Amino acid sequence: MNARALTTDILLGIVPIALLIALWQAIASFGYAPVSLLPPPGLVFARLAEQLLNGTFQREIAATLFRLFAGFSIAVVLGVAIGLAAAVNPAINAVVRPIVRVLAPVPKVALYPALLLLLGFGHGSKITLVAADALFPILLATYYGASMVEQKLIWSAMAAGTPRRQILFKVVLPAAVPSILTGCRIGLVISCIVVFLAEMITSTEGLGHLLVAAARTFQTVDMFVPLITISLLGLILNGLLQGLRTYLLRGFPEV
Amino acid sequence: MKVVPSRPEVQAESAPKSGREPAAAMIEINRVSQVFRTSGRQDHLALSEISLTIGDGAFVSILGPSGCGKSTLLYIVGGFVNPTQGVAKMKGKAITGPGPDRGPVFQEFALFPWKTVLGNVMYGPRQQGVKREEAEAQSHRLIEMVGLKGFENFYPKELSGGMKQRVALARTLAYHPAVLLMDEPFGALDAHTRTRLQNDLLNIWERDRKTVLFVTHSVDEAVFLSDKVVVMTRAPGRIKEIVDIDLPRPRRRAELLLDPRYQKYVVDIERMIDDTSEDGLRP
Amino acid sequence: MITERTTIVSRLAPLLACLGLLGIWQIGALFLNTDSFPSALDAIRAIPSILGDKESLINILASLRRMAVGFSLAVAVAIPLGLMMGRSRAVASFFNPLLMVTYPVPKAALMPIIMLWLGVGELAKILVIFLGVSLPVIYHSFQGAKAVEEKMLWSGAAMGLSAAQRMIRIVLPAALPEILTGCRTGLVLALITMITSEMIARQSGAGNILFNALDMGQYDTVFAMIIIVGAMGIGLDAAFEKLRGRLVKWSEPQFDMPLSFS
Repeated sequence: MNARALTTDILLGIVPIALLIALWQAIASFGYAPVSLLPPPGLVFARLAEQLLNGTFQREIAATLFRLFAGFSIAVVLGVAIGLAAAVNPAINAVVRPIVRVLAPVPKVALYPALLLLLGFGHGSKITLVAADALFPILLATYYGASMVEQKLIWSAMAAGTPRRQILFKVVLPAAVPSILTGCRIGLVISCIVVFLAEMITSTEGLGHLLVAAARTFQTVDMFVPLITISLLGLILNGLLQGLRTYLLRGFPEV
Repeated sequence: MKVVPSRPEVQAESAPKSGREPAAAMIEINRVSQVFRTSGRQDHLALSEISLTIGDGAFVSILGPSGCGKSTLLYIVGGFVNPTQGVAKMKGKAITGPGPDRGPVFQEFALFPWKTVLGNVMYGPRQQGVKREEAEAQSHRLIEMVGLKGFENFYPKELSGGMKQRVALARTLAYHPAVLLMDEPFGALDAHTRTRLQNDLLNIWERDRKTVLFVTHSVDEAVFLSDKVVVMTRAPGRIKEIVDIDLPRPRRRAELLLDPRYQKYVVDIERMIDDTSEDGLRP
Repeated sequence: MITERTTIVSRLAPLLACLGLLGIWQIGALFLNTDSFPSALDAIRAIPSILGDKESLINILASLRRMAVGFSLAVAVAIPLGLMMGRSRAVASFFNPLLMVTYPVPKAALMPIIMLWLGVGELAKILVIFLGVSLPVIYHSFQGAKAVEEKMLWSGAAMGLSAAQRMIRIVLPAALPEILTGCRTGLVLALITMITSEMIARQSGAGNILFNALDMGQYDTVFAMIIIVGAMGIGLDAAFEKLRGRLVKWSEPQFDMPLSFS
């Protein structure tokens, strides 16, 4: 895309968001909704800025982020490992495939009560839930990417003298990286969503908990703040991942 | 920037069929140029001042190296692309968009995968308002003509490349376009299938002698099939030469391959294309 | 592509997997031997009592009904929108950023806010499901429409189809396989959003039953409900796949990523 088209795209894209905020402001200021139900955007963003500088709020963000990263990392490690193994080993494939097919459409959040029973109400249950939810897209993407590796690539490596057992790490894994990263992107978004929801259902800290606590005391402004925070976090993390992707995929043809 | 062939009437026509009037201009291309905007870099001049007339019933090939804009020229005649400069006309009227008078056959087949062979072929006639029973009967005849009898209820994904192209041809013929626009139709097929389809195409064409504009980069294909071969230069594409192919019809591959006239055409045209100078106009 | 040899073993494989998982559960439970982790058999034994209880049954069916309504509405809106985005650069640029911003927001998390505005009735829950399902369906419709071969549309134009006709009669069927993949994801999401919103806004429904049982220490019921919900997920997904196979039997086999969003 040349510069001209890109700027038009960005401008065009900002319009609906700006419109939405303007609409929000209009509804609030014309009094169609009482402040208790829909606080004006100015108030919300001001409170957000204020909270971001607040130590207690920062600790809550930290708790959420910790659970998010822990769960996501576990999902990445397990997902990539199992996905690769299943792609290259037919025996493992035969065992893993039906299990994944059965478990994939099951809402993992239904397991949450069980996790609470087994692991308590603290970090453990949330991290496990995040890992369970983020695992599947990463696993599937890895499996897909690894099985799609062109046979000719493997043959070239073998002809060059690469022993069989190294093929996995030297050819299959690198060739599967684009697909793995796509799966990670999806897994990351899922992690953000799941950690927030888990905290909303039961928790004593974290962003999700803040929303529910504010709801109980009808502090509408304080309800919007954690919601917007998790969205922003999601966007930032997504951007970072995209950056990593661009860096790692320097040599690949445009996908 | 030279204007092309100095011959005043650049007519490409075949011997008129008995009973017809002397071949009239079916397609007229008037000083057409095409510029493409590319990402960031400079604009790309694909076609430069192309002027060409194509008579009714002529089989004309457009031949040239990759990137010479020959497909673009075809798309302009088809109305899929609007020329940056100049105008293309059909029977005197300017071409502004696609229509059933100019039927395309693409290299990628472009069949509708959710319809069977019969469904694909019936599509055009149904669109024209033909009643179902009649459209079906017509389509069955066409499917048989292209050699796919028995495959009416197959889906495209179940067919080989050659079969798909036969379906594409039948589909276009079904809505009776006056002009056939063929964009390297046999390019994606293996050599054997290609020669078979070339023969079949000529057999089908002989029946009602539609006007055909045939894009290809294969010299022997162009010489084998056409009445006239329009040789284009590489980008920016201009017409280098128009060669009359004076070989008798019907054309048989086995005879032609051994015919010294055919061989001379192929050699001469290949030399034209190899010529690396920009304006290869022969005196 | 990855093809499955339809031998008897591979057909039974999912069933075997279920049994295997249940087996592992059983063994694990006996091993841990705590009250809070009933064995698989105990949980299974508790299922009939849940399904037999009139009130629970009504609750569960109500949940399913909400899901169906939310899903249908979402699909009706999202598919046309996605298709238009796929074929028009302007429309895509207009909606894309908005969608990207709302994507990471868990729709179920909007429950408290929506409840504040719309009360605790059906509308709030249906709205949340609607929002949750829309996103993947829009995205996949968009991708599917974008990928439609230009030459197919040209062939249609040459046959005399207008722009609107091309959209309905070429873009839509051509993009259908991808659209249905989006719907499948949407279906999974509908179930998840429904359960989650019921866990958050505890009034009625399956999610509520789950947490009530948890609060009251009826651990057998908790795990029994988990099995029921799991079965709903698997059942719906399997039914949808069958339907999908019928609708797009003409398409090349696609790789499906049954993505789970919350």
